[in-house]
Amino acid sequence: MRSPLARWLDERLGYSALLELATHKQVPEHKYSFWYYWGGITLFFFTVMCFTGVLLLLYYRPGDEAYQSVRSITYDIQFGWLIRSTHSWSANLMIASAFVHMFSTFFLKAYRRPREFLWFSGIVLLLLAMVFGFSGYLLPMDDLSYFATKVGLGIPAVIPMVGPWISNLVRGGPDISGFTVSRFFALHVVVLPALFIPVLLLHLGLIQKHGMSLPPSELDKPEGKRKTIPFFPNFAMKDLAAWLIALNVLAFCAAVFPWPLGPAADALKPAPMDIHPEWYFMSSFEVLKLFGKWIPGEFGEFAGLGLFNLGLVLWVLVPFFDAERRSGAWARRATWFGLAVVGILLFTTIWGYAVLPAVR
Amino acid sequence: MNYPVWDVPFLGSGWVIGIIAIIHVLISHFAVGGGLFLPMAEAKAIREGRRDWFPQLEAFSKFFLVLTGVFGAMTGVGIWFAIGLVSPEGTSTLIHNFVFAWATEWVVFLVELTLAAAYYYTWNRIPDKIHLRLGWAYAGTSWLTLVIINGILTFQLTPGAWLPFAGSGDEPFHFFQALLNPGYFPSLGLRTLACMSLAGIWAMVFFSGIDGDSEGPLKEKLVRWSARWVVPAYVLMPVFFVWYLFTVPESHRALMSLGISTIGAGAFTMVTRMSLVTVMTSATMAGVVFFFAWLSPRTLSRSQALGVLFLALMATGSTESVREFLRKPFVVNGYLYSNGVHIKDVDRLNAGGYLASSPWVSAAVVATASTLPTPEMGKRMFEGQCLACHTLDGYRSLRRLLSDRDGKAIGNILTMLHDHKPDSPYSKFMPPLVGTPVEIESLRQYLDRAVNGKLTSPVAVFPPVVSASPADSTKPGS
Repeated sequence: MRSPLARWLDERLGYSALLELATHKQVPEHKYSFWYYWGGITLFFFTVMCFTGVLLLLYYRPGDEAYQSVRSITYDIQFGWLIRSTHSWSANLMIASAFVHMFSTFFLKAYRRPREFLWFSGIVLLLLAMVFGFSGYLLPMDDLSYFATKVGLGIPAVIPMVGPWISNLVRGGPDISGFTVSRFFALHVVVLPALFIPVLLLHLGLIQKHGMSLPPSELDKPEGKRKTIPFFPNFAMKDLAAWLIALNVLAFCAAVFPWPLGPAADALKPAPMDIHPEWYFMSSFEVLKLFGKWIPGEFGEFAGLGLFNLGLVLWVLVPFFDAERRSGAWARRATWFGLAVVGILLFTTIWGYAVLPAVR
Repeated sequence: MNYPVWDVPFLGSGWVIGIIAIIHVLISHFAVGGGLFLPMAEAKAIREGRRDWFPQLEAFSKFFLVLTGVFGAMTGVGIWFAIGLVSPEGTSTLIHNFVFAWATEWVVFLVELTLAAAYYYTWNRIPDKIHLRLGWAYAGTSWLTLVIINGILTFQLTPGAWLPFAGSGDEPFHFFQALLNPGYFPSLGLRTLACMSLAGIWAMVFFSGIDGDSEGPLKEKLVRWSARWVVPAYVLMPVFFVWYLFTVPESHRALMSLGISTIGAGAFTMVTRMSLVTVMTSATMAGVVFFFAWLSPRTLSRSQALGVLFLALMATGSTESVREFLRKPFVVNGYLYSNGVHIKDVDRLNAGGYLASSPWVSAAVVATASTLPTPEMGKRMFEGQCLACHTLDGYRSLRRLLSDRDGKAIGNILTMLHDHKPDSPYSKFMPPLVGTPVEIESLRQYLDRAVNGKLTSPVAVFPPVVSASPADSTKPGS
């Protein structure tokens, strides 16, 4: 028996149909089910990031006052440090869980027909999340973010013909300044969300359409032997438990390792010795550095950039090489390709941190 | 500095203890809680005629025996190695006071391990009644290990009535005052509840491996029964936690209350941060157990159960850190500082020299200690008085903490630490820096070079001292 309020609401909103759908929706249950939770965890971190981002908007001032406003948020506003720390940590944890989600999807072959657009939209979301991170990194305008962004914006400048133009357009001039912060801010809070949210909705909609994918080992089983659990309440409750664990990890990171704020950026000062990008750009940064050493001049960096983009294109196009359940050799090649990508990303990232000078 | 120093670069020696200790607590508390879990489960199975539980309980007792007997014992010994190296003076104090307790503990360990092995190997080989008695005997002995070690652990923060006899030579006559110190009973309650909770969580990890399709009802019963073991801790822990806090000396509790009052500004202490993590992880754990295990016991997977264990690891780690942080700046509250200096020795070391009293510093270094500060001497000071809590480049890095400070500013901080005035913010969580002015100037020069790459302020000059330093020719290396 539903309460009068529930009946009143249902009559107007029709939520019982949604509940009915959720109850009938089944989620596969097998030994790889653990990996199903990572998409939800990524979404959880994204939600926290949006919420804390809106709170930061109340006090953040882009432009020349950027550093002072972040300083004020961190040291003067009550619980400002917590909101800022939670925002930064949730952003990083979101990208980390998105990587886990992407690789688990890859190795469980969840990109195969008819899920190609789920794969494409997922990669677009990850790339947009990384741009979110890059644009957000500069916003405090402390010394490390200033010089790291300077290096980062120098990378597209090596592209022949249009490179310098792109760099100047993003910077809002020949140097990083208050104009750059304003542009990055607009990108961070208007342009990127406007791009991200529709793609996210598409991604979620496609999951509803196609359902959770089954790994090859489950597909080999007869249909009667495959296990499922109802999406609601069973899977939803388990998702909630996973979110609680994620919340604990986030709270631990934000409270025990509050996000630091360095000294204000000063273009006249020498760059910090340990200048480096965020961890998710470290691999590409290190590859460019290595190519720059192997092949002197701008061509080296350009070659590195080209190779990295070629790898990305191959990664995106994997569903076309390994499209079918019985892809045979192509399926194995795709797995080896994935392992190589994981290996290269891990190795170059660790290498990048290992060679950083210890100045602090 | 009566012992050689142990330098663990980057990680810091404290973390070596921390990492081993957190793993050990997670397993050793399971050893105690599991001791109660197994006979209770067996008794329930006998009482309710659930013979189908027996194979699962037998397998669980094997897992229990291997985990606690091998990894629990190894990490336990590992802690002893580590604390002996990191804080030899503190370890020495504990051994001298609790030698009888430890002798008892080792005997109980031996009985405990024997009973655990006997319990596993006699499943279905002896009558149920006798087997169950073995289980209860194990439960009693394993809890006894907690009863003993709990006294030693709480003694460090709340030595209570033992303190007036410290250093008198009469300490062995006040053994029970040291063991049953003010923090003893609330801590025993807290740890017993944690043991029960961990027993339930480890059991969920194990029983999650049962096939929910072919053995659905069995899995459901065992998982739900295991999940219930989290409840007592969830309900009673806050009570014991508040009781425990009231036994903590006011000066140490102030660290936490100061933290709570400054939480909004973000300047709050690490002990408060870790306490918040403890509260949050403990509070949400029940929710996670409810959603993962209670609502869907048949589909509880190993990874989900491990997720609960991960939360337990966070809760355990943060709670143990809080206990350690609360003790600062002491190893034994009111008796021995965290840098291994006894309170009673501070004046003597300030007058006669810290290095001069060490048998591990060469006479050549000590010979210059009266007039000439040197970075070499400063390095010895750093190793003796800083290294127990700091590293140069890693955890609590002094290069990071002192960055942007020139030699003069570093000197000011060292003077503040040396003076150790009650109103100094550092005196609440850092021990006094002891030594003669020449030794402190040496440390300043060493840190200045380490932080800034060179000396950035003038070197202090000291007049020759007429009286000889306490260094004597019996030192090693002389």
